[in-house]
Amino acid sequence: MEYFNLYANCQLVKGARMSLLCDLQMRRFYHIPNDTADVLLFLQQHSIEECMAHYGEDNREAITGYISFLLSKELGFKDNRLVPELTPLDLSWDRYSDITNVIIEFNEDISYTGDFFRELFDLHVQGLEIRCYHKTDLDRIRELLEVFNGTTLKFIKLVLPYEATLALPALDKLVKKYPRVRSLLIHSSPADKLEKIFDGSVPVVFFSSNINSCLACGEIRADYFMSNMELFTESQHFNTCLNRKLSIDGNGYIKNCPSLPESFGHVTKTSVREVLDNKAFQRYGKIRKDEITVCKDCEFRHVCTDCRAYVEDPQDMYSRPLKCGYDPYTNSWENWAENPLKQSAIAWYGLEEIIK
Amino acid sequence: MSQQILILSQSHLEGTTDHVCQWLGHLGIPYLRMNGEDLFDMQHLGDLPGNDEIAVVWYRRKISSFPVKYSLKQADFQTQYTLKRFLADEFNGLHSLLFYTIDRQKWLNDPITEDNLNKLHVLALARKCGISTPFTEVVTTRAAIAQLLENYHEIIVKPVSECIFLEDTAGGQYKMLTKTIHQNNLQLVPEKFFPSLVQEKITKKFEIRTFYLDGECHSMAIFSQNNRKTKDDFRNYDNQRPNRTVPYKLPAALEFKLGQLMKLLCFRTGSIDLMVDMQGNYHFLEINPEGQFGMVSYPCNYYLERKVAQLLSKSISHEKEIYQ
Ligand code: SF4
Repeated sequence: MEYFNLYANCQLVKGARMSLLCDLQMRRFYHIPNDTADVLLFLQQHSIEECMAHYGEDNREAITGYISFLLSKELGFKDNRLVPELTPLDLSWDRYSDITNVIIEFNEDISYTGDFFRELFDLHVQGLEIRCYHKTDLDRIRELLEVFNGTTLKFIKLVLPYEATLALPALDKLVKKYPRVRSLLIHSSPADKLEKIFDGSVPVVFFSSNINSCLACGEIRADYFMSNMELFTESQHFNTCLNRKLSIDGNGYIKNCPSLPESFGHVTKTSVREVLDNKAFQRYGKIRKDEITVCKDCEFRHVCTDCRAYVEDPQDMYSRPLKCGYDPYTNSWENWAENPLKQSAIAWYGLEEIIK
Repeated sequence: MSQQILILSQSHLEGTTDHVCQWLGHLGIPYLRMNGEDLFDMQHLGDLPGNDEIAVVWYRRKISSFPVKYSLKQADFQTQYTLKRFLADEFNGLHSLLFYTIDRQKWLNDPITEDNLNKLHVLALARKCGISTPFTEVVTTRAAIAQLLENYHEIIVKPVSECIFLEDTAGGQYKMLTKTIHQNNLQLVPEKFFPSLVQEKITKKFEIRTFYLDGECHSMAIFSQNNRKTKDDFRNYDNQRPNRTVPYKLPAALEFKLGQLMKLLCFRTGSIDLMVDMQGNYHFLEINPEGQFGMVSYPCNYYLERKVAQLLSKSISHEKEIYQ
């Protein structure tokens, strides 16, 4: 008897009509019909022969095809048994920081060296995004970057507006001085293009649209999907946009994300502890994709990040992201901004300007 | 004075130590980390951590590199090498003082055994615990190998100690790897040679890396058989097509025997390498008491760094109970 063993880090996520087979190790995913997914699930309990018998002679060729597809992608292997020692993947999620990621909407008039920031980065924050919507003096950004030398911060993403003087050699010099800067996004650029600096290790994305406020955030696009262990496991238990995230908006107010209206104090007056102990601050962190309307039926739910700031029904915390154009019931993508059912929410958030 | 966790490590290129320390910080558990590099700033012996203040020691690494470079005024290749060896011995002499000043039972792994682990001895101990190992011999002649090839289809040669890297004067780098000998290349073997470890070559279905932690085995299967390049030794990483690494549970009886072996060696943590042959039999290969466990922890989502932090913290709370 022959059996097909699927590797434990290849996880199947079923949607309304299609499924996603997520290879969390190789960071790829495969969009497959639910019928194929059912065969795969059947094979996790039965031999290949039993599977053929179950689905009938008519389907023999199709099933053989599925299995050779899985083998060719190295998603599993054939053996004379379902190897019981190959145990399921533990999908639990935990991190050693109360806050893993921070977004700062940069403002030259705010001091980033106060107690609040010291306390915040002592929590072993891993990723930081520094967003500049408007032209900013590079020296001030250098001052801010200086603060993170010697901390355990791993990753800084810089978002800057395009300036002719800010050419690649200048950026190269900057990232060499501050190696924690691992990616750059230059908005309002003359053209869309991707460059690499620091010997090809740091991507610089030139983006032709303006990012002049946080209204541009929260877009759901297929090329933002990520199939990896971190996101997939976190998504099983927590919100993939806001869990253990913290933002400081351009006025120094502490928020879950710059796009959300609620603030939980000001960097000059509030302590990090107070923010973390505030129940309202933790409100969104536990909202899982499996609980969100529509997303819960979507096969992309564990490779997709979420957005709680712009949702289809602003009165409903469990409503799905407004800026998603995917329909898991028809498996088609459309332009969300043109959907007539979304117009009232678009008006409610004042997004008309952004989508023109 | 309350007793502390002591972590012996190095100041950089040690992500695993950093990771465990970050967990300790998050769990609110105090610890003392001493990097080998710190010894270059000590004022007197009293600066070394003393027995009374330490509850448990996790000995992870000695040092990454000396913070200062030393050389002879008129150095040639030979004397420079001798100096390097001498300084390494000097450093070890100081560092290993801790092995004697801090009670041996406080160390997660017995440090003296760990520093002097003998591959052949470990294989013999494993067999004593009823764990199967590949047939292993040390030979000095081609004739002896020829005789072994009558019983075993292929033989591998590997060092009794550790593989080394060699560098030539032009900067070329060579890595020592496991080599296979069979009837067709036997004539390339010299008639008489330096005592060498040979082992029966087992055709593997997959390999297993187990991280043993205080009685528990956290195992990972490594599938590399599709990949010709890594067939002999999965450490010859192939970045294009990485090996598949998935969680695995060893049979309880084997886990028990591995636990006994670790106890015999006075190790509470370590990486164990095993191999599964085409028939599904397990073969024990070796133990790396200071093996990297991040490479098991992350792919299997085991959170081993957190488990190590919890084990260390258990050791200090346990101490408290005794003294109260
Ligand atoms: S429906 Fe939800 S899960 Fe699916 S793509 Fe849209 S936002 Fe992501």
